[in-house]
Amino acid sequence: MGDGLLVLRIFFVVAAIAIAAMLFVALYGAKKPLPQSVVNDAGYRIRKLWLGLVLVVAVVAFALTVPFFPYPWAQASVGARHIEVTAAQYAFVMPAVLPADVPLVFDVTSQDVNHGFGIYAPDGTLFAQVQAMPDYINHLPIEFHVKGHYVVRCLEFCGIGHAYMHGGFDVR
Amino acid sequence: MKIMWTYIVAGLTIFGLMLLVGIGLRASQAGWIPIDTGTFYSLLSLHGVGMITAMAIAGLGLLWYLVDREIHLDERVAMLAFAFFAIGVVVVIVSVVFGHYGALWTMLYPLPFVGTTWPSWATGAWLLGVAAVMLGFMLICAQILGAILRSSGGLGSALGLDYVFGRKAFEAAGKHPPSPQMLAATVVSIDGLIGGASGLLVGIAMIAHWLDPHVVIDPLWAKNLTYQFGHTFANLTMYMAVAGIYVALPICTKRAYHSSIPLVVAWWGTLVFVIIAYFHHLYMDFVQWPAVQYIGEISSYLAAVPVVVVTVFGGLMLIHRSGMKWTLGSMFFFAGMIGWIVGGSAAILDATIPFNVDLHNTLWVPAHFHTYLLEGVFLFILGWVFVSLEQRAEAASSALVRWIVGLGIFGGGALFLLSFYVAGAAGVPRRYAVEPAPGPFWAGIATVGALLVLVGVLAALVEGIRLARMRAVGSTV
Repeated sequence: MGDGLLVLRIFFVVAAIAIAAMLFVALYGAKKPLPQSVVNDAGYRIRKLWLGLVLVVAVVAFALTVPFFPYPWAQASVGARHIEVTAAQYAFVMPAVLPADVPLVFDVTSQDVNHGFGIYAPDGTLFAQVQAMPDYINHLPIEFHVKGHYVVRCLEFCGIGHAYMHGGFDVR
Repeated sequence: MKIMWTYIVAGLTIFGLMLLVGIGLRASQAGWIPIDTGTFYSLLSLHGVGMITAMAIAGLGLLWYLVDREIHLDERVAMLAFAFFAIGVVVVIVSVVFGHYGALWTMLYPLPFVGTTWPSWATGAWLLGVAAVMLGFMLICAQILGAILRSSGGLGSALGLDYVFGRKAFEAAGKHPPSPQMLAATVVSIDGLIGGASGLLVGIAMIAHWLDPHVVIDPLWAKNLTYQFGHTFANLTMYMAVAGIYVALPICTKRAYHSSIPLVVAWWGTLVFVIIAYFHHLYMDFVQWPAVQYIGEISSYLAAVPVVVVTVFGGLMLIHRSGMKWTLGSMFFFAGMIGWIVGGSAAILDATIPFNVDLHNTLWVPAHFHTYLLEGVFLFILGWVFVSLEQRAEAASSALVRWIVGLGIFGGGALFLLSFYVAGAAGVPRRYAVEPAPGPFWAGIATVGALLVLVGVLAALVEGIRLARMRAVGSTV
């Protein structure tokens, strides 16, 4: 939560490594061609290791991320205070003040179309979000530890006023 | 060849027009040109569906040609499908230009029926236009799949099951596994029919609601089908174009790309993961069945395996120390593989649920799919066009032209995409006619990058025409 810039850094590193590796493979020894059979012998050996590495990274990454899933069934929220949020073109109806350091669950729904309930922290980073859907209630467990004004923006296209659909609350 | 060029030229023409629309949209977000909110969303609707359709039409032209080389396909079916595409495109344009439709192409029910500012007929026209495009797409998929099944003797053979599970007997009988491009065609056509069916199903439900508002649709059901269709359709444009790698890179490198058991198994993976990875579009729908959220993340990860371990890895093995000449055609294919990997990496990060909380419906989303489409699918199509033209003209482009095209499309493209990524990581929402800071600043950078892309595309167009005319004048091919 609020890790957008961390993701950006990871992305830059991964992209730089990938581009450098691909350029290296394409350009290294380019002026000294080899028969395809020679390249294949080495390539297929590397591919087996590469396959193993990719699969291990995929499975380990999945296992590492599961504890951080934001879902109500994945997060302890017993005894939490429930906060009703109703979205409608183009506003959010919700309390103006919320307590800090108290487990909360936002019960989010919509009166008309799909909306996104995106909470931006006082420092401007995207802190948490959940969809606001008609006919359904999404439960978003959350606990605020930083006091201040949180801005709420719509994060699902909902019509011509989408860009102007925002609200907010104070955490005290 | 006639079908292939008809489809590719039509696709690239739509691409060029939509590129201009896209530049206008980013310039508007930068505050450089005034576009009112209603017009912005109408143009965004047109840009989105237009670009995807453009890539699909061009990719299908390439795929149809590759299949037709091995199994004869009836041109009349391809032209009938083209008529569906043309009708769909015209109806969609009418809906936007004259009806001012503006609810985008992956609209989530109850959109586009609630809070609209355009007449009801425009909504109906949009739905019918997109349905016509889908019918054209499914017709081509059905034609390709039918021809492959007839010629191979069944789905098992078409997917290489007998080859993988009984290789010795298979080879002893003198049989050959399906070629890589035929595997791509089989997978694209099967997944295309599944994705198209999802799109038609939710589309018919919406048309029924349009005709009779008493028809009620479940919003979560509609959202699942809309994304199953939208994600699959967009994703498959890549796999249509990828088929070109298997044929064009061997021409560029003077090496062979053979089918192998890893390649066949990799395409089985693609067959499955393309149709279930869409669950990552519903990560923020907490009422969604819990199991599919887990499936969404792991299937999004595993979808990368066939790409990085087989196709791109195999492509790099072809290029490595082959003595390949860097023509525009080979450059586009190589750069396309880079774009595919970079865009795919961004997609995987976004498909990681704890990160998705920070990125869902921010500009990170268009960042990754613009990388994938502009620096991946589009480059593979251009690569195919230029390898074909270079072969026929027996000529290549000058270093100056390659630098102009490269700096425009790759350099400008990098600038254009960087702005999306940085603004997305900062939490700037997507689909905002007026963005909060730092969106407008990065929209300005994006506009400059996109203008450079336009320069590169125009230079490629002029060079393509030059090569085509050389063939007409001097070649005997």
